[in-house]
Amino acid sequence: MNSVYQWLVEIHQANPYLIKALLTGLLVTTVCSVIGCYIVLRRTSFLADALSHSMLAGVVGGYLVMKILFNEEAHALGMLVGSIASGIFTVAIIGFVSRKSRVKDDAVIGVMYTGIFALGGVLASRFSEYVHVDVYHFVIGSILGVSDGDLRMMAVVTIVVLTFVILAFRQLQLISFDRVMAASIGVNVVLLDYMLTTCTAMVVVTGVQVVGIIQVVGLLIAPGATAYLLCDRLKNMIWVAILFGWSGFLVGYYLSEQLNVAPGGMIVVVSTAQFLLVFLVAPRYGLLAGLQRRWRAIPQQLIEDILGVIMRSEDEQATIAGIAQRIEYRVDRIRKAIQSLTRQEMLLVEGDIISLTDEGRQHARRLLRSHRLWESYLQHLGVAAEELHDRAHVLEHVHDEDAVDYLDDKLGHPLVDPHGAEIPEDFVHLVPGEEVRVAILRAGHRGEVVRVIGADTGGLDVGMQLVVGPREDDSQMWVVTVMDHNSMQGVVRLNHAQADSVIVKLQPSD
Amino acid sequence: MSISKKTNRLGGKSQIPAIEVRNLTVSYGPVPALLDVSLSVAPGQLVGVIGPNGSGKSTLLKSLLGFVKPDFGDVELFGEDADKAKGRVAYVPQRGSVDWDFPVTVGEVALMGRYGKQPWWRDMSAEDREIAEYALEQVRMSEFRNRQIGQLSGGQQQRVFMARAIAQGSEILLLDEPFAGVDAATERAILDVLETTREAGRTLVVVHHDLTTANEYFDSLILLKQRLYAHGTPEQVLHPELLSEVYEGKLRVFAHLPAAGQSEVGQRGTPHE
Repeated sequence: MNSVYQWLVEIHQANPYLIKALLTGLLVTTVCSVIGCYIVLRRTSFLADALSHSMLAGVVGGYLVMKILFNEEAHALGMLVGSIASGIFTVAIIGFVSRKSRVKDDAVIGVMYTGIFALGGVLASRFSEYVHVDVYHFVIGSILGVSDGDLRMMAVVTIVVLTFVILAFRQLQLISFDRVMAASIGVNVVLLDYMLTTCTAMVVVTGVQVVGIIQVVGLLIAPGATAYLLCDRLKNMIWVAILFGWSGFLVGYYLSEQLNVAPGGMIVVVSTAQFLLVFLVAPRYGLLAGLQRRWRAIPQQLIEDILGVIMRSEDEQATIAGIAQRIEYRVDRIRKAIQSLTRQEMLLVEGDIISLTDEGRQHARRLLRSHRLWESYLQHLGVAAEELHDRAHVLEHVHDEDAVDYLDDKLGHPLVDPHGAEIPEDFVHLVPGEEVRVAILRAGHRGEVVRVIGADTGGLDVGMQLVVGPREDDSQMWVVTVMDHNSMQGVVRLNHAQADSVIVKLQPSD
Repeated sequence: MSISKKTNRLGGKSQIPAIEVRNLTVSYGPVPALLDVSLSVAPGQLVGVIGPNGSGKSTLLKSLLGFVKPDFGDVELFGEDADKAKGRVAYVPQRGSVDWDFPVTVGEVALMGRYGKQPWWRDMSAEDREIAEYALEQVRMSEFRNRQIGQLSGGQQQRVFMARAIAQGSEILLLDEPFAGVDAATERAILDVLETTREAGRTLVVVHHDLTTANEYFDSLILLKQRLYAHGTPEQVLHPELLSEVYEGKLRVFAHLPAAGQSEVGQRGTPHE
């Protein structure tokens, strides 16, 4: 810690050019990180790469123009304007060619920017007697060689870019998210695109000073991409990106001093390392979080099997050991599932004894009903008796209310399953006050006819009071007694279709 | 397989249904994608599959292609298990999923239908080329064989992919919304291709969205929403009541359907005591 302090304060105090480097780095990474967020979100990384490379042509062009016309050597503003112009020109021509040709834009970008970059190199070597651009530094970057003029230019760029992003924040958010809607409410999408491109070009010019043409994309995008893994709001993402930009720069710069290597490369290496680290450990969008979620997830099937086992146990009570004996699953997973069910208030744990809450019992009964109906269905389709249970055990997890009701109806509302066990009644719909078809009623239910569908109702009509008796004829005949002020009036026998046609309002049973 | 053999097989109208689905249940969770779907399609039919979004239409197509493992039930194509009869169905892609700028000609696309028949180290045989050519003839696209596929009208584009499916030697063609996003003239042209293909003896299953045209386009309709609500002639299926139940979930009327193919419901199997 002490050596870091020493490096940061003492060495920089002694060497003013190092302070300039530090300041440069912080300014550049700030704007790079801000603009980088938009580049990540708009998926234009490759375009940004193109823009940075095309800058070589702009710098050489700007240099030549200032030298030949005004005899100014290495005019900073000339080169800046030249690079921005060549950047915008590159983006414009890429857009034009990909609109007018069948070649998709990734290929157009690849063709155009290498061409313009190469043109810059050709110009620089052809006019090498006029142009004293250090191509090597331009490609690799040289943060230690920043002049006062450069620093002033960076300050101006920083102010311009940040002002633009702050003032046009909402518009930039909108054109990055939904261009068509933005245009429809009168946002000048094309103008903003070009302004953002101009900002990108300016930011890249400053970034090139620090890390060079080839690596500037890393400086631009890595912080934004890293923040993207952590944030769900653009504003936060920008702030976090700035922090990652700074930390990548400071750590990289420090390590380059310590290891005596080029600072530009080290800064980009650290930025990329930060990205990979966050990709690994990010709480929501990270690799480990995803794995942990998958590992922690309790299969619905296990949950349902546990409920089923407890329901079928004596007094609807069981112990973990008892459950583990009957479910082929690791005990720790079973324990986890029970904890989760307890949190959902489906189970009650008292000491060793696990029992069902009302809600848990309801869910278990639904599963039991589903299982027994699926067994009846399978038997109905001629599945061998010894396969019934295992196949139904898989299918019972298809227990969507509509699906189970469909099976129930298709099978004629059976009362018992192939093994002779009672199928729980349709308790989801059989609630006093609800309007239900007579077909789903069981013996003892009573209600008033409120509606009839179709003509054949076996003589039942709206307003009659019914009491349901035991079914007859292999459970295929519904027997209801029509009551008149609590005195019996007559017995009516209905087939399935008739029983489906009569809707009663269920009353509390005796 | 030679051309003459193929025409023989298609010509000889067998009694075996082209598609036989029995009690098919497919699920990805508690809610089934398909529930107890049974249907049978005779060879040489043009069948439309209709139903709201998420009603299991694409699961049904995938089941016919042998891509999904059913929870229960089976799918047979000409009496063979669907996953063993993969060559017998061809899938015609949605127009939107094709790169129309791709440098490939009409003839080459049709020939792609034969790619699965030759190992990679062997050239396409003269017979393969003949079959592809014959498939193009069937959809009346022979004269365009050297055209790049982007330079065709919408109806012609559809024909090329029909030709590819025919060249595969498939008797059953599955089409996923061929009419999506085309103008009326193109729709007419595509329908024309479907009808020509059917007249050549092939069976077509078409996922369709537009209820207003379902009536005139298809020999029969399958109305799906997890379970089979109806399968029959358009007149039988396009009942306002039935449609509002399926599309708007208005009524909770059970299985007493006006349509054919529901005899099983009437039998009411006797669950045991």
